[in-house]
Amino acid sequence: MTGFFQSDPVRVALAAGAVTAVVSGVVGVFVVIRGQSFAGHALGDLGTLGGSGAFLANVNPLWGFVGVGAVVAGAMELFGVQRRRGRDVATGVVLGAALGLSALLLYFDTTTSTTTGATITVLFGSLFAASPQAVPEMAGLGAAGVLGVVVVFRPLLLSSVSPDLASARGVPVRAVALGFLVLVGVTVSLTSMVVGTILSPALLIGPAATALRLTRRPGAAMAGAAVIGLIATWAGIVLSYASDHWPPAHRGWPISFFVVAIVFVTYLGVELVARRAR
Amino acid sequence: MSGASGRSGRIRWGVASLALFVGLPVGLPVGSVHATLASSSKVIAIGAENQYANVIAQIGGRDVRVTAIMSNPATDPHTYEASPQVAQKIANAALVVQNGAGYDTFMRTIEAASPNARRKVIVVRRLLHRSGAIANPHLWYAPSTMPVVAAKIAQDLAALDPSHRRVFERNLARFDRSLSPWKAAIAALRRRFPHAPVATTEPVADDMLQAAGIDDKTPFAFQSDVMNGVDPSPQDLATEQNLLKDHKVRALVYNQQVTDTVTQSLLAIARQHHIPVVGVYETMPTPGYDYQTWMTAEVRALINALAHGTSAPTL
Repeated sequence: MTGFFQSDPVRVALAAGAVTAVVSGVVGVFVVIRGQSFAGHALGDLGTLGGSGAFLANVNPLWGFVGVGAVVAGAMELFGVQRRRGRDVATGVVLGAALGLSALLLYFDTTTSTTTGATITVLFGSLFAASPQAVPEMAGLGAAGVLGVVVVFRPLLLSSVSPDLASARGVPVRAVALGFLVLVGVTVSLTSMVVGTILSPALLIGPAATALRLTRRPGAAMAGAAVIGLIATWAGIVLSYASDHWPPAHRGWPISFFVVAIVFVTYLGVELVARRAR
Repeated sequence: MSGASGRSGRIRWGVASLALFVGLPVGLPVGSVHATLASSSKVIAIGAENQYANVIAQIGGRDVRVTAIMSNPATDPHTYEASPQVAQKIANAALVVQNGAGYDTFMRTIEAASPNARRKVIVVRRLLHRSGAIANPHLWYAPSTMPVVAAKIAQDLAALDPSHRRVFERNLARFDRSLSPWKAAIAALRRRFPHAPVATTEPVADDMLQAAGIDDKTPFAFQSDVMNGVDPSPQDLATEQNLLKDHKVRALVYNQQVTDTVTQSLLAIARQHHIPVVGVYETMPTPGYDYQTWMTAEVRALINALAHGTSAPTL
């Protein structure tokens, strides 16, 4: 573990991981309360489209994740994600089409340009390889995401728990839903930078679901989810760094594996304890 | 009655179209090999990478028609996928030169799919008697490689077209002589900058650096990770970054054909710390170069970088 804190890649990873854990904790709690885990999952996977496109256009994958996340969130909302019936179908159809397009773009990435590692980077994340310039950009996006939740906190909570009551009270339910889905799109673009598009939903939903097993109060759950995500991400970075000479290849294991494993084990542990307590 | 005959008619059509479908890919290439051999006396040859195609053309001259499969310097040969058109060309060829060592595995697949007893296939790795796992497949950067390959090409061409044996032998002798500027440049590099420390992003030109006695400070695991498109470990990445930041190296030898966020960040660090960058290529840059002048240009670019601190990101 020598030189852990002196290492520039590690410092970038710790900063980017912290930002991501906090934002996904805050947004993830609402995703779970609203029962939109599949939509969140789909938005994460859809980041593949943005990431592969960004490699083709030679820009930071973060902007590809963000752009596609926001646009597709709007499309899914228009196709009827707000209705309980047909929500899965609309999400699934958009997801399938966009992943097909991603496959094409990834093919172009590896066959017509020089970006050899594009597939791994986009799908499974390359946090140690993130450029230092990405950190302030991610922090800005993250701050905007948290601020967005804070601003619409009350109407969002009301329309999540009881849409009918919310619209009776004059809350623009549809607009709040659209805005929230765009927020989710931005959040999964951050998690995609840390663990890749395939695994990004794990970081969005896992800590939030764990925290909601511990407390029913949304504010406390957000704080708890942020802490759980932070611990998982930082522990993942430490373990990945420490796994430098592990078998089979005597090279480090990927961060994304450790982060997702820690999130899962934590959820499992809390779930078991909660059941026994009941 | 009519229903029964209609069904059997449909089955017959089905069998016929199946036969057509199966027959097309197998039958056509073999037929056209004979057609091309009969219609012109030129030997049809393929170089899997354009540097090998270039050497075939230099040895074969006007009596050989050569096609290169991988020739785009803007793509990474490691991730190349062959199209049906390419498979067709390979099936038709009488002489094929491929690198081997996992660099162009698709060639072996296509050749196995279109067997042709008359086709001569030169696998450079096998020709050099390199067995076992090869960490660095860029065999053509070793000064000892291409003379052996060229001699084998001349021998196989003479077997395919015995009437032009003398031409091929003369061309081979000329090719061997034309390598002397490159060898002289390597000798000059070795003499003027003994054990000069450099950093690399990939093992592309490692054999050439070794021949010139250059000290490649980059951990091989890092080079191999970049080559294979996986993330280098943070330890290796920090080591590589510090080579540049602490001026422990005098040049960054950079693979033009593989770029990602890691290599781009290294380029930025090198520029910031005024470490000259020398671009190297996996396939021969075109137009304007043949194999010898390309290799010579890369050595001279490195000499310039070490002598004057001049960057040459592209040739």
